[in-house]
Amino acid sequence: MELVVALGLIVFKVALLIAILLLLPLPLTWLERKIAGHMQQRMGPMRVGWHGLLQPVADGVKLLTKEDHIPAEADRFLFKLAPILALAPPFVVFVAVPFGESVSVLGTEITLYVSNMNVALLFVFAVIGIEVYGVIFGGWAANSKYAVLGSLRTCAQMISYEIPMGFAVIGVVMLAQSMSLLDIVRAQANVWNIVYQPVGFFVFFVAGLAESQRIPFDLAEAEGDLGAGFHTEYSGIRFAFFMVSEYAIMLLTSVLAVILFFGGWNGVLVPLPPLVWFGLKVAFFVYVFIWFRFTFPRYRYDQLMAIGWKVLLPLSMANIIITGVAFL
Amino acid sequence: MSRALDRTGIWIGWAFFADLANALALTFGYMFSRPVTMQYPDKEKWLPYSRYRGHHFLKRDEEGEIKCVACELCARICPCDCIEVIPYEDEKGNRRPAKFEIDMARCLFCGLCEDACPADAIALGQQYEFSSFSSSDLVIGRDDLLGKPGKAMTGGGVVAAHLNTEQDVLVETSEPQGYNWWRNIRRT
Ligand code: SF4
Ligand code: SF4
Repeated sequence: MELVVALGLIVFKVALLIAILLLLPLPLTWLERKIAGHMQQRMGPMRVGWHGLLQPVADGVKLLTKEDHIPAEADRFLFKLAPILALAPPFVVFVAVPFGESVSVLGTEITLYVSNMNVALLFVFAVIGIEVYGVIFGGWAANSKYAVLGSLRTCAQMISYEIPMGFAVIGVVMLAQSMSLLDIVRAQANVWNIVYQPVGFFVFFVAGLAESQRIPFDLAEAEGDLGAGFHTEYSGIRFAFFMVSEYAIMLLTSVLAVILFFGGWNGVLVPLPPLVWFGLKVAFFVYVFIWFRFTFPRYRYDQLMAIGWKVLLPLSMANIIITGVAFL
Repeated sequence: MSRALDRTGIWIGWAFFADLANALALTFGYMFSRPVTMQYPDKEKWLPYSRYRGHHFLKRDEEGEIKCVACELCARICPCDCIEVIPYEDEKGNRRPAKFEIDMARCLFCGLCEDACPADAIALGQQYEFSSFSSSDLVIGRDDLLGKPGKAMTGGGVVAAHLNTEQDVLVETSEPQGYNWWRNIRRT
């Protein structure tokens, strides 16, 4: 009986997680377009629903009813595989991400995470690495020069930025003496990691921008020079997969930044429920992502590489050494 | 000394991303400034100025007779060749157009026909809402042209979109001198 309840709970949590992650891009696209509009003294979507609130739904219906086109010269198998490869990892990663300690519903304690792995951080980085294959396969299979260029760029970019990103979080792991995200948050109960690890956060955040391929590092789908980058040839529902994956990764980067450096669900001053604190912090980071997008131009390719290898990598290594020395 | 100081200042600013922070502050400020969008078909619409070149109209003289003398000068000068005039002689022996057709689908609203007309019979009025699903509906004949709204009396204001401004309506607007487009534009 207990096993059934536990199993049912896990299934329920996973289903809830998937539902939330699938639905969140809807308000996020709306927000992004609204913020973009107001930053450019426009209004953004206004015509579908109150202040365009139903615009994402209309767009979703449009994407679903569009022709699912596959180019004649494309590698059909890889072409169909790529959106799934891009979509699945960000969802899988959230299995290891905690959203709070636990809440008691009807007398039973329900933990706000699906699993508490002791190597959660490693799991996150390992799984999110797979997402690159979706992008690379997508660009390669489409057999179009823009898509190939986009995926080549992504390939180099992802590899270059995964290294400093991995190094940047080592400082956090050293402080918490654990790789479990739950322990990392618990270790920040008094002082957030950002106080000890400002450089680590900086490297993590910049690398996170690059990993989620947002401006100023969105070389993979540079609208200006590559059409739409790796998903140039995608249409309809497969394109929607890539979009959802992109938003999920943006969300994941925000969540990781909050968990690793901004104390997770630990609040300051104002006593709000932990889940609310967590949501507020994540929302702030999501806003920052959007804010950056409509403020900065795109870096050139060589600048991107220079930042990754010549600035972030040394910085993250220095950060590890300094943290280590401070520990001794 | 001051130059050296300046340069160190710039370098320090650069190292701490002062330029990026500036840009972020600017966009953040813009986010809370009022949008300049005019929500045209939904909420507001614009009243043309009196010199606006919209849909053509043909004028009548004091006796209510059509002013046009069917000289075909407008048809000649038109760069798009979109006016067709066929003259006839009426009861009083005046030369008048039997047929006067303008193909609005081809017109580029240059206003040359208005300038060329020796009888001050044709002009470009204030109407601008005449889009159509078929280009044959855009060929407008003489009698329709006589009924089209003339030049705007006031203009430049912004009014509610549901108002009908077809016939020389004098709409009271809060901006009699015309809408100040720069009003909401933030200039730093
Ligand atoms: S406005 Fe110009 S293009 Fe239009 S009918 Fe007159 S002369 Fe021709
Ligand atoms: S409208 Fe003027 S220019 Fe044209 S035919 Fe009549 S009189 Fe001549």
